[in-house]
Amino acid sequence: MSNDSKKWYSFNLNKSAKTDACGCGSNSGSCSDEKPKDGYDQIMDVSMDRRSAFKKITAGFLIGAGAVSSSCSVVSGDESKEKSGIEWDEYFKGNYKLMTDEDKVETVDRLTRSYELRTGKKINMSSKDAEEDVLFGYAFNISKCQGYMDCVNACVEENNQDRSTEMQYIRIHEMEDGKGFNFEESDDNYYHEVPADGHFYMGTQCFHCDNPPCVEVCPVQATWKEKDGIVVIDYDWCVGCRYCMAACPYDGRRFNWKTPEVPEQEVNKKQHYLGNRLRKKGVMEKCTFCIQRSREGQNPACVEACPTGSRTFGNLLDPKSNIRWILENKKVFRLKEDLGTEPKFWYYMD
Amino acid sequence: MTTKLILKALTIVICLFVISCKHSDEHKYHSVTDKIEAETVTPENLTVTSETFNENIKTVKFEEDGYEFLIPERKSQISSFNCTECHTKPIEKLKQDQVGEKAAHWNIKLAHAGPETMNCATCHTDGNMDNLHSLTNSEIDFNYSYKLCSQCHQQEFKDWKGGAHGKQLGGWAPPRLSNTCVNCHNPHKPAFEKRWPVRFNTQKVKERQ
Repeated sequence: MSNDSKKWYSFNLNKSAKTDACGCGSNSGSCSDEKPKDGYDQIMDVSMDRRSAFKKITAGFLIGAGAVSSSCSVVSGDESKEKSGIEWDEYFKGNYKLMTDEDKVETVDRLTRSYELRTGKKINMSSKDAEEDVLFGYAFNISKCQGYMDCVNACVEENNQDRSTEMQYIRIHEMEDGKGFNFEESDDNYYHEVPADGHFYMGTQCFHCDNPPCVEVCPVQATWKEKDGIVVIDYDWCVGCRYCMAACPYDGRRFNWKTPEVPEQEVNKKQHYLGNRLRKKGVMEKCTFCIQRSREGQNPACVEACPTGSRTFGNLLDPKSNIRWILENKKVFRLKEDLGTEPKFWYYMD
Repeated sequence: MTTKLILKALTIVICLFVISCKHSDEHKYHSVTDKIEAETVTPENLTVTSETFNENIKTVKFEEDGYEFLIPERKSQISSFNCTECHTKPIEKLKQDQVGEKAAHWNIKLAHAGPETMNCATCHTDGNMDNLHSLTNSEIDFNYSYKLCSQCHQQEFKDWKGGAHGKQLGGWAPPRLSNTCVNCHNPHKPAFEKRWPVRFNTQKVKERQ
């Protein structure tokens, strides 16, 4: 897909579409007999005859026709031509998982440029891959959380979340002492002085399961688990069917019911393709452990904002990390462990 | 004849097993704990560092019981340190000289354990204001004040050393830099105070009605 001459997405009529990003993990040999093709594979992995290829291309052409007419027009200006060129390329780009490093850089450049054309401001977007020997994990101390919600605010600002619908990745549940973890009776939108007597506070967000059910159900493979354990979404590949939202047993996923609104001066310009870049209407989003920060070695915004030290983030493969000490020395538990989802988010008490 | 048949059937079954058995990376481990155990690396091999995020924080080293990490340096953060710049005489003498004037440290009210257990002199040393002292009167540097706290708060100290108590600064990647006790707790009033949450979602209230 990275031929120099190619400007837009092609269907690879006679070539195999396999890249080293093949899902089976091996670079050699065939892996097609391992499981029956479904969803995405059925469409993308078949060799196609000329006639049906033409049908599909025509459908694409019709949608892209508007872009063509303006990009080839003699009357429209250079900027609008560039804009429609970008739109064309963005429309026909592939799934992020199948992109080569070059493709990734190209789409990031296009998105950066398109933002500049729209607003006149520059953003800094990255497509940094997972580091070797890193598996991210998170620990939450329920004895220490005071329910101040500083984490929620930090998350909203860091991740460019929609301000008008108040969609947030983190929820802090106020629970009554002696009733256990009763989410049905807990309150996640309290407004009184905290910590309230006789209550404790428990934060939830995406737990980045090692065996994520949301990934299994996605019909277009727009969400997957990265090598460092972060479950991510390709916002440009998501069709907004919300299967993943239904599949998640932890209510970790959010849907953009309307176009997200972020005041221009509040936009976090440090972005990642799989993280906090601006989303559109009708796609899923969720916590990414602040991928734009964590892949650089920095703590997620919620960890940095917490004034009580209830939140610990780290590398599970580093035997000297704080999170490993917690797992080995404290009495830890996870939510709904019996489901076998293997969340990488542990709770503990003093 | 029957043995041949059984043998043939067996070979077929084994072949089927070999072919159909799925050896993908995805399901190599039974649980994430197994994965962590199997893939743990030696810390020297890790390449990511959080040094750039902590550049502006002056630090000192904590080294005890096999734990080794950085904590913020304290003395430069205390306004009007050195204390001996004012505390040139013993407290009683200073008090006599300043009768009728506004008391120094008027804003400090001790709310830490009870008066039977603690007063100013439990930590501060009359003859040596630039240092603290332990229960047995050995000198403790302000930069290492955790030594003072850990005399009573032993469980917290143990958790803090390991990383289960307290707050890690900057990044998750090594070198580790953790807040020391007094970075989060005011030693004169160590409990966290009640306050209003910083957020209330009015939209959510409307939607849930």
